[in-house]
Formats: sequence, C-alpha cells, structure tokens
Amino acid sequence: MKKKNLRFYIRIYFKILAQDLKSKMSYRADFIISTIGMILTNVSGFIGFWILFRNFPSINGWSYHEMLFLYGFSLVALTPVQCFFDNNWNLRGNVYSGDFIKYCFRPINLFFYYQSEVFDIKGLGQLAFGLGTLIYAWIKLGLAVTPLMLLKTLVFLLTASLIMIAMQNAAAAACFWIENSFYVLDLAMRFKEYAKYPVTIFSPVFRFIFTFIFPIAFIAYYPSLVILRPDEVPVLSWLSPVIGIVFFYVSYKIWMRGATRYSGTGS
Amino acid sequence: MSAIIEIKNVTKEFKVLNRREGLKGSLRDLFSRDYKTVRAVDNISMTIEQGEIVGYLGPNGAGKSTTIKMMTGVLEPTSGEILIGGVVPYQNRTKNAQEIGVVFGQRSQLWWALPLIESFRILKDIYQITDADYEGMLKLYRSLVDIEPLLHKPVRQMSLGQRTLSDILAAFLHNPKIVFLDEPTIGLDVSMKAKIRTLIHALNREKHTTVILTTHDMGDVDALCQRIVIIDKGKMLYDNDIEHLKGFFGAYRTLKIRVDGDLKAQAEEIGKALPDCAVSADEDWISVLVNEEKQKVMDVLAQLQKTHRIRDMQLEEISTEEVIKKIYEEGVQ
Repeated sequence: MKKKNLRFYIRIYFKILAQDLKSKMSYRADFIISTIGMILTNVSGFIGFWILFRNFPSINGWSYHEMLFLYGFSLVALTPVQCFFDNNWNLRGNVYSGDFIKYCFRPINLFFYYQSEVFDIKGLGQLAFGLGTLIYAWIKLGLAVTPLMLLKTLVFLLTASLIMIAMQNAAAAACFWIENSFYVLDLAMRFKEYAKYPVTIFSPVFRFIFTFIFPIAFIAYYPSLVILRPDEVPVLSWLSPVIGIVFFYVSYKIWMRGATRYSGTGS
Repeated sequence: MSAIIEIKNVTKEFKVLNRREGLKGSLRDLFSRDYKTVRAVDNISMTIEQGEIVGYLGPNGAGKSTTIKMMTGVLEPTSGEILIGGVVPYQNRTKNAQEIGVVFGQRSQLWWALPLIESFRILKDIYQITDADYEGMLKLYRSLVDIEPLLHKPVRQMSLGQRTLSDILAAFLHNPKIVFLDEPTIGLDVSMKAKIRTLIHALNREKHTTVILTTHDMGDVDALCQRIVIIDKGKMLYDNDIEHLKGFFGAYRTLKIRVDGDLKAQAEEIGKALPDCAVSADEDWISVLVNEEKQKVMDVLAQLQKTHRIRDMQLEEISTEEVIKKIYEEGVQ
C-alpha cells in the first residue's frame, strides 16, 4: 500500500466532490429551486440590512459602509463552512439511523471522508454576493489596494473561516454524545447571524459571550478591525489566526473522538 | 493455511441507562442516572484461516453485529484480543480497512446517485487499486455475472437484488483478505439468492478470500459454509463443521398433518402410537417431529395414513432458528 500523502487526499477529494456535484445535477428541479432560494436568502438579508441603515446612518460610531464591509466580510468568511462542511448538518441523522457506520469501513481519514461527501454549491452564490459587497465597501471607504492589505484580508478571511468551521464541527459532534443534538448545532449557527455586527454594539455580557464562549466576534469584527481601524487594533485581532488554528484542531479532535465513540445501531 | 482472524477471550460490554417508567420516571432519569452493564459479547475465542467461509449465526441480538464491528475496528473490545491479519483493528482502523470489505446490514455503501462504474472508480482511488488489478477484477466480474446492465445504472434506480449484488462486487473490488457479509440475501427472491450465493462462492474460490457470513437463511449456510459458529446472548455455543451439526440436528424433520376432529386429542393418541416422535398440535396442524435416524418420515406417514384420514400435509426441514434453539436448550458435543 502506498503512503497516503496530501496529494492522495486532494485527488480523492476532487473525485468524491465531483460525484456529489453530479448527483446534485441529476436532480434538476431541486438544483434550480435551491439556487433561487439561495439568491432570495441573500437578497432579503441585504434588504433588512439596508432598511436598518436608512433609518440609522451609523451605529455606535460605525458608518454604513463600514458595516457593509463587515457584512461582506462575514459572508465571504462563511463560504468555506457552507461549501465544504455542509455534511455536518446531516451528521445527526446519519448517526441516529446508523448509516454513519459506512464511513468507518474506508481506509481513509474518517473526518475527511465524511466532509468530502457533500459540496454545497449554494455557498458559491454567497461567495459572489459577499465579494461584491466587500469590494463595493472597500471602494466607498477609500481603502488602499496594496499587496499587504490584500494579504491581511486573505489571512483574516481564512482565520474567520477556520473559527466558523471549528464552531460547526464541535456543535455537530454533539450528536455523538447527545441524542437530540439538533438544537446545539442550530443554536451555534444562529449565533453566526450576530457575526456581521461590530461586537461593541452589544452589551458587555454579550460582548464577553461572543468573544470567549461563542467566539463569533472573531468571524468578522476582530479581523476587520485590522483593515478598517488600523490604529486601534486590539491584541485579540492579532491573535485570531492562532486562535483559529487552535480552535479548528480542537474541534477536529472532538469530532474524531466522538466518531470513535460511535457504536452504530444494531442491524 | 494461516490464521487470518484470531480472536481470544473477547468481551464487549455496553453501559445502558435503566429507564424508569412514565413521565415522573423520565424526570428522575434526568437527574439520577442509573446504568447497568450489558454484556453483548461474552468471552468469545476463535481462529479463522485464510480462504474459509464461516457462517456466523445466532438469533437477533445475539451479538453478531457487535463481534463484526469489533473485527472491522469500529468498536473496541472491553477485554480480550483481536488480530486481523496480525493487525489490531481498533488501533489501526484505516490499515485494517484496506484489507477488508464489508456489506453491512442492508445499508448500501455505494454512491446513491452514481452509476455503479463511477462508484467503482472512486473506490479504485480510495483503495489505491492498480490499473491492472482493477481491470483484472472487472474481467473476473464479467465472467461471473452479467454486470453490463448494472454498470451504467444509478444505484438509486436499482432493485434490491441488483443493489446487493453491486454492494458485494464493490466489497470485493480491492481484493481484500476478508469480506464480512451481513445478511446478504435478506429480502431477495429465490433466483437472486442463488445468483448471489454462486457469486460469493466463486469469488472465494478465485481470490481465496475469507468470508464471514451472518444470515438467518439456512439456504445460505448450506450453499456456502463449511464451518459455522453460533452465538446466543453473547456466548459462543458452537464452532465446528456444518456436517457435524447436521449429524446432530439435520436428522430432524417436522411432519405436519391436518385431520378431521379434535386435534389435541388426536395428537395425544398419535404421540402414544409413535414413542420416538414429539407430537404437538396447534389450531390447524398436528406437528410430528421425526428423528430420521430412528424412523423414516415416509414410514411415519404410512403408519398415520392407516389410522387417520389425512386431508393435507407439509414437511418442514429444521430451520436455523430451531437448530440454534435446540443447541441452546440441549447443548452440543
């Protein structure tokens, strides 16, 4: 048996991913309806945001375009979790019905195999929408376009994604211990709605929760500060890439631990 | 021949919550948890050689699936030792997975929306099968079954029989040392059952693959297994040749007859006339359990025809369930 290196996994990933796309396209009506749904979700989210700012020109010192930047940033940052880790939503069902066992019989990393099986193409629409918003806000704010700025943006986008992915992994893994764990995942994912607002607009209690317990402030707020307010960047912002990596690793370990604890249903 | 599976004194225990009854009980369960330990597999040992087909039998809930999950590395034994080709499956799940194939509990492991051939191609990559081995295997498959109509059909459009067949082919594709088949013929029609048995037999012969087969169908066992292992309530009851088992129980057949009048009274009468047979009656039939080593069924029938007007009759072979029941009640050896 040959060694399974990164190249092997990338190759397998694209193979399995291609099968999922093929599968999805084979249900055409489903594909079209979910695409329309995705567009409507994004548009309605944006309209809500827009109405809010027609009435309040700024919130707690944050201007419309700055908020728009945060909004776009969070949308882009949420794309990887939507595209690549969407199978976490099915985890509970798979564990509950016993279908999860089929993933245990393959000679590849369990977490990898499980996540690779679903690619949510809807995330791409979100990406386009988020990028559009981000670029628009960038221009309106008159931010410089330098390689350093772009690099910072990229690094912090990745950081934000990692934190989001970590939260979802950990929340999804709850099903290995708790039978009715849907609420855990649902709750964690509802919190992400607050990710697009600057954490300073919340009360100190929530500010604490969103920074240290459900660290959604790291999804857009702390990373964006680096780009939007380079003069008042807190230490937490600079720490966030490390926090992101640590969080992701911990959530992966939790997930794998849960999976090995899994015993399957009788058959 | 060399041992491919070695199981020594393996026990698996589960902690199960003792649930109390009613709403009040559920509330109390929330706060004080009262666990009991259930022993799903109790001190099992066996050694299986490369190339054997072993029937792993037992009633539902006997611990068969648990044993197989331990052999495939999904579960860790509470105590004891399992070696699959010299590897501890639980500690080296992925390494072990490379050497085994599994068709488990009627859950298809193929990609639902894809034609079979595309599932095969993904498996080829996952198991790193060389082009030559892959082509060789497909060639072998073509010689054994008519796979052309299956190859380009999405799995979701297949009949149950076609899907099972495909799952078995997929399990053998990377030429594993062991294939675990959990009730492969359940719910299939007679001709499909025969097809699948022939296929398993041929693959075992060609590739010298060890096959562990769990089933409730005595037909599968007769067609495939030289050796059977029976467990019940987690304990091993029997591990020997199938011929040996038949020597004990295969001689039993049940003759069922329908006569006029009160069945209970007549059953008693027949019981007296046939001291070597166990006779019982239900609402429709009188059942006569005949041990053919002592008395031929045809003789019993001839004798009964002299005394009774038989309106209808059936002859039943002893079933797996009955063999297991008898082994459990009476023991073997």
